[in-house]
Amino acid sequence: MMRRSSSTRNHVRALLPQVALGIGAALGVAGRADAAASAQAELGRQIFFDTALSASGRLACASCHSPAHAYGPPDGAPVRKGGAGLDQPGLRAVPSLRYVLNRTPVWSKPFISSPTERLLEGDEPPAGGFGWDGRFDTLEAQAASPLLASNEMANRDPEEVTHKLAAAPYAELFKRVFGATIFADPEEAFAGAREALARFELEDPSFHPYRSKYDDYLDGRVSLSAQERRGLTLFDDVRGGSCAACHLDRKGADGSHPLFTDYQFEALGVPRNAQIPANADPDFHDEGLCGPLRNDQSGQKNYCGLFKTPGLRNVATRRVFFHNGRLHTLKEALQFYVRRDTHPSQWYPATGGVLDKFDDQPRNERGNIDVIDAPLTRSVGQAPVWTDAQIDDVIAFLETLTDRDATPAAPDPAADVASPAPSLSVSKLHLQR
Amino acid sequence: MGMRTWSVTLLATAAAGMFSAGIARTHSDGITTDVARIRHVFIIVLENKNYTDTFGTSTQDPYLQKTLVPMGALLTQYYGTGHVSLDNYISMISGQAPTPDTVDDCIPGLTGTLGNYDDVTQTGWAPQGQVVATGGCIYPARVRTLVDQMTQVGLSWRGYMEDMGNDPARENASCGHPVIGVRTDRTNTAEAPSTAVPLGDAYATRHNPFVYFHSIIDSKSCKKNVVNLTHLQADLAQQSTTPNLVFITPNLCNDGHDGAGTGATGTTCANGQPGGLTSADEFLQTWVPRILASPAYREDGLLIVTFDESTYGAVTSSRNTTTGQTTVDITYAGQTCCDQQPGPNLSGVRPSTTTLVTTPTVVQNLVFAGFGGDRIGAVLVSPFIIPGSTSATPYNHYGLLRSLEDIFHVGGYLGYAADDPRAGYHLDTIGNDEAIFQHP
Repeated sequence: MMRRSSSTRNHVRALLPQVALGIGAALGVAGRADAAASAQAELGRQIFFDTALSASGRLACASCHSPAHAYGPPDGAPVRKGGAGLDQPGLRAVPSLRYVLNRTPVWSKPFISSPTERLLEGDEPPAGGFGWDGRFDTLEAQAASPLLASNEMANRDPEEVTHKLAAAPYAELFKRVFGATIFADPEEAFAGAREALARFELEDPSFHPYRSKYDDYLDGRVSLSAQERRGLTLFDDVRGGSCAACHLDRKGADGSHPLFTDYQFEALGVPRNAQIPANADPDFHDEGLCGPLRNDQSGQKNYCGLFKTPGLRNVATRRVFFHNGRLHTLKEALQFYVRRDTHPSQWYPATGGVLDKFDDQPRNERGNIDVIDAPLTRSVGQAPVWTDAQIDDVIAFLETLTDRDATPAAPDPAADVASPAPSLSVSKLHLQR
Repeated sequence: MGMRTWSVTLLATAAAGMFSAGIARTHSDGITTDVARIRHVFIIVLENKNYTDTFGTSTQDPYLQKTLVPMGALLTQYYGTGHVSLDNYISMISGQAPTPDTVDDCIPGLTGTLGNYDDVTQTGWAPQGQVVATGGCIYPARVRTLVDQMTQVGLSWRGYMEDMGNDPARENASCGHPVIGVRTDRTNTAEAPSTAVPLGDAYATRHNPFVYFHSIIDSKSCKKNVVNLTHLQADLAQQSTTPNLVFITPNLCNDGHDGAGTGATGTTCANGQPGGLTSADEFLQTWVPRILASPAYREDGLLIVTFDESTYGAVTSSRNTTTGQTTVDITYAGQTCCDQQPGPNLSGVRPSTTTLVTTPTVVQNLVFAGFGGDRIGAVLVSPFIIPGSTSATPYNHYGLLRSLEDIFHVGGYLGYAADDPRAGYHLDTIGNDEAIFQHP
């Protein structure tokens, strides 16, 4: 739909102060000559910030997808709470909405005809779709979920949403965009609201500002420091971290800047997070692509435990990492990659003296977890592919991906350790849980 | 870097004198059939099917089997020149045998999303103009191709690549290729539709031979001549706008590479189409009538439909009951015809056994028992063909190149399309096949 251009970036610079104003700010829409589409986007913006659409009256899309935090979570809480009393916890960490929305492909798993090529170059995991499990092919479909989910905005049905839309300050704008009688048809009005949200997310420049040091570096305007360059080299090294194999970091053929994801699914074996109330039930497992939130792939047991690869732009501002928000600092997250297999007791509990590696995955499905791609190929007794100093180098590089308007998230308000140490010991990890 | 470039240039210059490397050899175009009248050739290359499947047991390609075969000629002993894809396309237009990388589609380790698109590292020349290389994918400018030969004699050509440039971040819409470098090729997997790329992008660089030669990509003609398939219909409108050589590569779904062809859940292409021979057949049903109705074809045309390679892969597995480890062997027969030679770069690469994956539970071995591309077959349709004819004369992609060089009277043969009298090497040319072509 919209591709980044220098003119778009100029719009971004002009509009960023207005983004900060929040509701009521007169945001323009860059790159669109279609007045109707722009009106939809403006309507979507007002819906995005409207807390009155939630059962609690205190939760908007922007509450979890905070514009000041690159449309990611404002703090380090592993999951957000919703519902009428804002006391119903979610299941997964909030992803950033910046950059990836217009380029996220529909969920697919290409099937390669040749059995041999299928086992060789073609046997890639599924890719695409919105959400950690890719269960929504369109933003319009995705938008229905938070509006109706009992642990989010908790509306009973489209009729209740429509009732609130009809009473909103932007009801007249809604009618101008979708017709004077739109509120007489709740399903149509509900669809219109979702369409408007999608237009806002796709069109508004604040979702794709490209105002990071790395963007400037790619455009030749600045140089990376020696440490940042070392970090980039480590990030790219196929025999080391091999991060760029999934988090693509190079310019496209048209000079477009990278989004640091290939949208593919991956099973990393992130440790179970006791901070998520659902995990109090030992029989409960969030297995991503094969359920429980997604149910059309539940029969594909080889998909269990796979979650979509997120983009890494603004990752250094986050305080919650991976699908279950188990880790709270970037250093921890990088340590997990390189020490998961060399020092598994740092991450997983022991049961009866036996380490329960990959404890968040049912035992009979742990074979799905990646042990063949670097850096996930080592074993106990081997050295991690990165030293702590090298991890600091990679962090320095990842910090170049932070947009200049992105604010670092606050710590997890519920954590009993305000600021977790970069290198957690087992005991500290257990304390956090 | 500078030193390496200098050294390669020096070697190439020296070798050129020894072997006439890359230089077309003179010959007489002694075509004995009506092929002598052909001035427009249309080639459609599909992917990865066995001859016995395509022209025998499959029920997914009724148009190919029941319309095109009776309408034209079936070459029953046509072979691919290698596995896994790219080396076949390269042999078709240059006569070059694989480098250690092109034989693996320039995908490091033959696994993963990101492929290489980097220069061939040439160390010398071998007989019949073969580049000796330690690796790499893009041939240096002095390695010539069929389209260079055609240009030299004033003939036109175009490569029509379906989906190329649908996602301009992956590749340009004309002369589309990745940025030259290691791990720069993102086209190994089809991209499903998104808001930014509503049609998705199933272009695969490795199925476009033209962008693997500096003689082409460094030329302005590349952007003019290597274009998206959407240009073809307009080009077919008049004889004067139809190139003498029309080379068509469907996208990964429509060439049969992706999808099982059944439409069953979990077996489709990235865009949801059935793929396999089903989508390939639908592609042929769409485009072949347009080609056959074009003024250029009707005047002096020849349509060739073939595949890059077969998929004679046998997959066998055995379990070690002591260790619990299952060993999976994926085996290509790699059969050849026509006294095909492996070329100078395949020592230790073909035949070979490579372990792709080793885990406590699984070992995956890739076994190439030979260096050929196995039997694929080809269908030829032309006003000058004897309808419903067949030929059991063996051909391969080098033979196709030789045949095109004869048809277009380009004045010589490239690479393994050329004879090697010292080795008694000689390929048949399709134009002399009296089993399928009419006599003047």
